[in-house]
Formats: sequence, structure tokens, C-alpha cells
Amino acid sequence: MEQHQNDLVVEMRGITKVYPNGIAANQGVDFSVRRGEIHALMGENGAGKSTLMKMLFGLEQPTEGEIIIKGEKVSLSSPTAAIAHGIGMVHQHFMLVPSLTVAENIVLGMVPKKSGMFIDFKKAIELTKEFAERFNLAVNPIAKVADIPVGMKQKVEILKALIRGAKILILDEPTAVLTTQETAELFRELVHLKEQDYTIIFISHKLNEIKQITDRLTIMRGGKSMGVYETASITEQEISRLMVGRDVILDVQKNQAVPTDVVLRVRNLEYTNEWNKKMLDGVSFDVRKGEILGIAGVEGNGQRELVDMLFDLKEPDAGTASVNGTDLINASQAKIRGLGVSLVPEDRMTYGIADSATIEENLISDRFEEKRFNNGPLFNMKAIRRESDKLIQDYTVLCKSRSQKVKMLSGGNIQKVVVAREFSSDPALIIADQPTRGIDVGATEFIRKKLVDLSRAGTAVLLVSADLNEVMELSDSLIVLYGGKIAAYFEDTSQLDDEMMGEYMLGLKRQSDEEIGRVCHER
Amino acid sequence: MKDRRMFGFELVRGAAAILLALGVGTIFIFLSSDEPLTALRYLLIGPLISIKGSVASFNTQGLYTILAAMIPTIFTGLAVCVMFSSNQFNLAGEGIVMAGGFVAALAGIYIHMNTGWHAVICVLIAAVLGGIIMLVPALLKVKLGASEMVTSLMLNYVCMYVVLHFLNYNFADRSKGSTQTYPFDPTAQIGSMVPGGSKLTWGFVIALVFVVIIALLMYRTRWGYAIRMIGINQAFSKYSGMKVGGTIVLSQVIGGVLSGIGGGIEVLGRYTTFLWKELPGYGWTGVTIAILAKNNPLLVPLAAFFIAYLDKGCQLMATYCDVPSEMIDIIQAAIFLFFAAEQFLSGYRQKIVVKNTRADLAKAAQAAEGGAE
Repeated sequence: MEQHQNDLVVEMRGITKVYPNGIAANQGVDFSVRRGEIHALMGENGAGKSTLMKMLFGLEQPTEGEIIIKGEKVSLSSPTAAIAHGIGMVHQHFMLVPSLTVAENIVLGMVPKKSGMFIDFKKAIELTKEFAERFNLAVNPIAKVADIPVGMKQKVEILKALIRGAKILILDEPTAVLTTQETAELFRELVHLKEQDYTIIFISHKLNEIKQITDRLTIMRGGKSMGVYETASITEQEISRLMVGRDVILDVQKNQAVPTDVVLRVRNLEYTNEWNKKMLDGVSFDVRKGEILGIAGVEGNGQRELVDMLFDLKEPDAGTASVNGTDLINASQAKIRGLGVSLVPEDRMTYGIADSATIEENLISDRFEEKRFNNGPLFNMKAIRRESDKLIQDYTVLCKSRSQKVKMLSGGNIQKVVVAREFSSDPALIIADQPTRGIDVGATEFIRKKLVDLSRAGTAVLLVSADLNEVMELSDSLIVLYGGKIAAYFEDTSQLDDEMMGEYMLGLKRQSDEEIGRVCHER
Repeated sequence: MKDRRMFGFELVRGAAAILLALGVGTIFIFLSSDEPLTALRYLLIGPLISIKGSVASFNTQGLYTILAAMIPTIFTGLAVCVMFSSNQFNLAGEGIVMAGGFVAALAGIYIHMNTGWHAVICVLIAAVLGGIIMLVPALLKVKLGASEMVTSLMLNYVCMYVVLHFLNYNFADRSKGSTQTYPFDPTAQIGSMVPGGSKLTWGFVIALVFVVIIALLMYRTRWGYAIRMIGINQAFSKYSGMKVGGTIVLSQVIGGVLSGIGGGIEVLGRYTTFLWKELPGYGWTGVTIAILAKNNPLLVPLAAFFIAYLDKGCQLMATYCDVPSEMIDIIQAAIFLFFAAEQFLSGYRQKIVVKNTRADLAKAAQAAEGGAE
């Protein structure tokens, strides 16, 4: 039988997935992969790419739609079923047993036996060696997984999938944990696999990697597919436009900022993550009263770590941070809030809300101990109700009543609840981390307007956003993070264009230390 | 509309779980009994309605017995509600009931007072001891990260054997054939509410008062609020600036106090001496009750009534028919299973969710279209 190069090995048609919390992570997505190609699946966090791949690997079941593998309609009820159809997945966080050896991990669940009951370790090692050689994936079969470097762990994961007969490999952000050298090595191995007629689905949002290694790409945004493209015939600009969605025309009216005293002072922050990757490398900047300082950058360049340090979610290796002269690094969240710092967290479902509590309960979580909400030991329910009704009204939260559960709201309204709480505590500093990601246009516009209003009223705002449009339109001045360092500082954002920004964000250009140093407004 | 539909779903799910559990029980009754219908009659209506010949009459004493049985389990049920609300799976209520009952009895024997305050003091001592014992798993959890489930479970046996040690070697009344303490003073006893030697004591009223107190605590105070928020999402609570560690300890201490009170009241109300030689089981029942009540204090009396009713029915069945009294355990376990199983009827729930989300998406699309024009 003749095999065509563009045989479709995987086809997903009209996939819709509604999670038990009511979030429609995929809405009528079509996705297909040809035999023997490296196919990128791109999109921002929350665009629905992981959900789509989980369904292909049998971890989740689609609410609607069909999956066709090699021309045959299948129902993938579990990873076992997916593996039986030749699909393997390498998760971003490795699924390995650290106390076992590489060979033991590889044969786990399909252990070669001796005389029917004893584990044949020798055979396991031989098997590992054989596959490692065949696919050019060098691993040490007798090393303990706990002792091997991250790059090798990933190879073990890939081998695990291959040895189970996977012909289609899903790699979930495989380079997120790798160093540059390890990434280059991984890419050589992937090309080698491709030459042997294996199909690879590569989840990523790093433009340069995609350009370097993939044949075609599918872009997702907001749970929908934005189309399939030949990698060679699409520019990075087009990709980024499709990914982050620049079709929302912003009309944020803002007058000139008049920054005064420094509120947040950050000096020489350093942080190395658990995979020994330096995520922050000497970051220093100031945010002044009355200005919005934006932090732009491709995701994973230290933004998350920076916010985590400032809100006591992680401890830096070195460096200082202070608000109006009081140290932030060693303060608890309660104390940080006491200093007048508010945070709109990136992960709103984890930090921003208690999902099965009511809207009212979510609105008072930072102020319920204040005198005005308590009558001796009892809550002053009247005051609490007045407060929550006022916030619901001021922030136009669409809901039936204040006692509706927060998880029943749409994403935009959930974010409005978070923002209502964080913006209304009369903060000296607001840290807004991806404040409008994944929410509807109306709510986005509303939140952006509120941010500008607050800054003009004298609040210092630190805006972290992967949405270029947002960070450029809203910020008064702006820094670009690349590889854990500040790559550029723009004092005035009105003269910026995306292309120049892109060059700094993708690490093609870097300003001089002197130019960058201007972000520290020392007297 | 949407919320009401989800609430309706929870009700349907609860009712279905109970019915299914009773169904499972019925199967076992039919398997083990020669007269299954009579047995079933005793189980379902026997506790409140006695049938002599063809005359059915309401059994007032039966009602008193059931209400009396609810006294300790309301307290342990409330205790578990508070602890589970902060997501602490603390099971030490069982041992604390026994320890609390023991110190209350000792206070009744060795402290002499004239007025009705005697019983109050005895119960207070039990309450304080309960709170102190609960500090052990709570502090181990907060300071060292030890699983409260494991430590509290083990603690039950520590409580039991410490009590048995002191009962056997220090406080036993040697003039009696079985191991028990001396009788406590009449001033320490909690009197019966109704005539006829029933065990339905004023402790029942106290239990109901505590239901209201704990409901207020959980839904109308800053401490209860923090306990519930931490239970729903600890990361959120910490980020909001709450004192997570202290609140986790507090919820377990409250649980210990309630269990201690339950043990004290039960011993002083039902007996004249302390004679438990093994864990009384009220703590475990409290877990079932809290699960049935979905951690809502106001539903605890209902759940406690249900369990006491079933308990009584099973006893009748075991006494008058050929069904073993262990049947209650089977039915309880089945309820437990259906209630605790998050996935039970989840397919039906998912259908509701999908429907709601569809409606929302359609509405949003409509709104967007309207806005674009």
C-alpha cells in the first residue's frame, strides 16, 4: 500500500470541551496532523491547547466532536487507549519515579519477567539500551532518575512513550525546563525521529523554536482554532498577531502621567528555579506614584517569578524590594497587604478566588477583620452587604445576587470580582499580573480603564502582561524582560512600535546598561 | 435559575444516595432473613410506630430514645463540620469523647458542689481537655506538616488506653464486679427532660443551642469565615492575608471542645458511673453526620436524627427478627460511599453544566453582535 506524505494520522473534528466548572476550554476546534511532520500547537496560556492534547491522550473526554486516528474513528477513554492507538505524551512536569533507575522507569507497567514472576532487570537494561541507540537518545539505564539532569529525564520520558509503540508524540512545552544546549540537543533528536517517520506535536509559545523546527503549525486563541499554517510561509509577526489577538481596538483615554515619589523599589533580584535555571538575573527598577510601569516580554522570561517574589510566594536568592521604604521580601502576605499592596494574580482561579464561596465572601477576603465589618464577635452583616453590593455595582459584576457562587460566573465577571476587591482597598501599589487574560472585551476595557483612573488618582501600578497591545497602550513607561534580565527601558511608550518591541522581546536586541539604568529613579 | 438548578441537583443527589443505600440494605435483609418484610417494617417504621395485632400507635418512648441518642452525635457531628470546613480531616473526636466523658465523671465524683453548677463545671473541664488534646494533631500539622488524619486517628487509641489505665489502676470501684468508677454526685448528673425514666436529658436542649452557636460561628463571625475560606482554597486565603496556620489550629481546637462537651454530657446524662471500656463510636458517627449534613451545622440535627432512627430500627430488627444488628454498619457504609463519591451522578451534573455554558456562550455571542452594530 502506498503511503502519502500528507496522510493525516490524527484528525480532531469539531471538538468542544466543557469542564465541570462550566469553562468551555475548546469550542468547535478542528485539528489535524500529517504523518511524519513536526506540528506546532501554539497559543497563550488558557487558549485551550493543553485541553485539546489531553483529549488526544485520553486524559479528558470531549463533550462534543470526534477523533480520527489513521482514518479510524476512535474513542479514547484513557491514556491506555491512546497508547494502544500509538499516541504518547511527554508532560511538562515529568511523570517519573525518582527512586527507581532509568531502565526501571522505562519498563514500568510492562516489566519483562523471568520464570514468570521475577523482574528481569538485565532484560530491562538491554531493552533500554536498544531503544536508546535506535533513536539516538543517550541515557544511562542504571542511573537513578533522581540523580540525572533534566534533559536526560526528558529523554527517558520520550523513550517511555516510544517503547510503548507510540508513533505520534505529544510534547507539552518541552523546552520550558531546558537550557539552551539541551534544547539544541532535543531538536536534533526530534528531527532524527521525524526522519524515521514519527509524528510529533510540539506545544510551545516560543516563536524562534517553532520557526526552527516545525513544518506546520496550528494557532489557538480563546478556545478556538485560528487556523493551520505552513511554518515556512508565515512570519513571526503574523504568528504573534494570531496568538495574542490584536484585533481588539483599544481606546483608553489617558492624560499625561505626573509621577512623583518612588513607591516600589526593586534592586538586583536574583532567582534560580528548582531546575537550576536562572529566572531572574539582577533585576532593578522603580515604580513611582501616579505612573503605570509595564513589564513586557514573552512568557517565561521571569515575569511570574518577579511577581511571586514581590508577594511572598517565593524567596529570592538575592536582592531587595521595598514599598515606601519598608522591606517586602521578608514580609508575610498579611503584612504586605498592610503596606497597601494589592495584587491581581495571574492565576485567578488559584489565588484570586475561593470558587465555591459566594461573591460576597470573595469580595471581603482582605478586609473582613476590619472594625467596620464586625460588631464585637459577630459580623456586621449590614455593613458587609452594603460593601459587596456597592462593589458589585461599581465594578458592574453581572450576577443574580451577591450570594451567588463565584464559580458560576463567567471568566470576565470572576476577574471583575478579583479586581473589585484589589482596587477598592485604597492601595498604594497595584501589581496587575495579566489582568485581562482570557476574559471578554467588555470586562477587559473596564479593567483597563479602572487601572488608568487609579494611577491618575495617585496609585503606583506595576502592570505585567504578555499582551503587547495592553502593555503598550496602558503603560506610561515600560521595561522588557528577556531571559531574566531587563532588555530595554522605554520612558515614553507613545513612540513605540511593535516591531522594535518584538526585537527586544525575542532577544535580538538589548539596550546598554546605562539606558536600562534610567528605570531606577535615584536622587 | 442556574444556581437553583445546581441546588436542586444536590438535593436529588442526596436523596438518591440515601435511597440507594437503603436499597443496598434491603438486599442484605432479603438475603439474610426468613421474614424480610417484617424485618423491613421494623427497620423503616418500627422506631416510632408500634404495631400490636392490627392496631398501630405512635411510640412516644421510642421518640425519646431516638432524641436521646442524638445528644452526643450532634456534638461530634458539629465538631467534624467545623474541622472538615477548614479541610482538616481530623478524626480524633472519637477518643476525645471518651477522655471528655472520663474527666467529667471524675469531676462529678471528686469535686463537691451543691448547686446545678456542678454539672456545668464537669462539662467545662471536659471541653477544655478536648481542646488541649486537639492541639496535638493541629500543631503537628501546622508546625511539622504531619498529616492530621494519621495523627488524629492514632490519638484515639492513645486517649482510650490512657483512660483505661487510670480507670483500672487509680479510679476503679473495687466493690463492683465490672470495672467502673464510683458513682458521681447527684448534683453532677444531667436530669431527664421528660417523665418516665427516659435518657432524654436537658443535654438535648444544650445540643440544639450549640447547633445555633456553631452555625453563627461559621456563617456570622470572622473566625468561621476564615475557617471556611481556608477550607475552600488555602492558597487564596493566604494570598488574601489570612492567618492560615492559626485558623487551622483554631478549627481543630473548636472540634476538640465540642467533642469533649459531647462526651461529658453523654456520660453525666446517661450513666451514674463511668464504665466505658472501649471507644464509644460517637466520633465515627459524627463523621457520617457531617458528611450527610454537607458540613452545614444547621443540618446536623436532621442528619443525627436520621442516623439515630436507622440505628434504632436496626436494633429492633435484630431483637425481633433474624437480622444481625451489624446491618446498620452496612447501610451507613453504603450512605458514606454514595455521598462521598464526588463522581456519583456526575454525568447528570455535567449535562446541566454544559447546558448552562451553552446558554451563556450564546448570550455572549448575541451581546457581541449587538455591540458590533
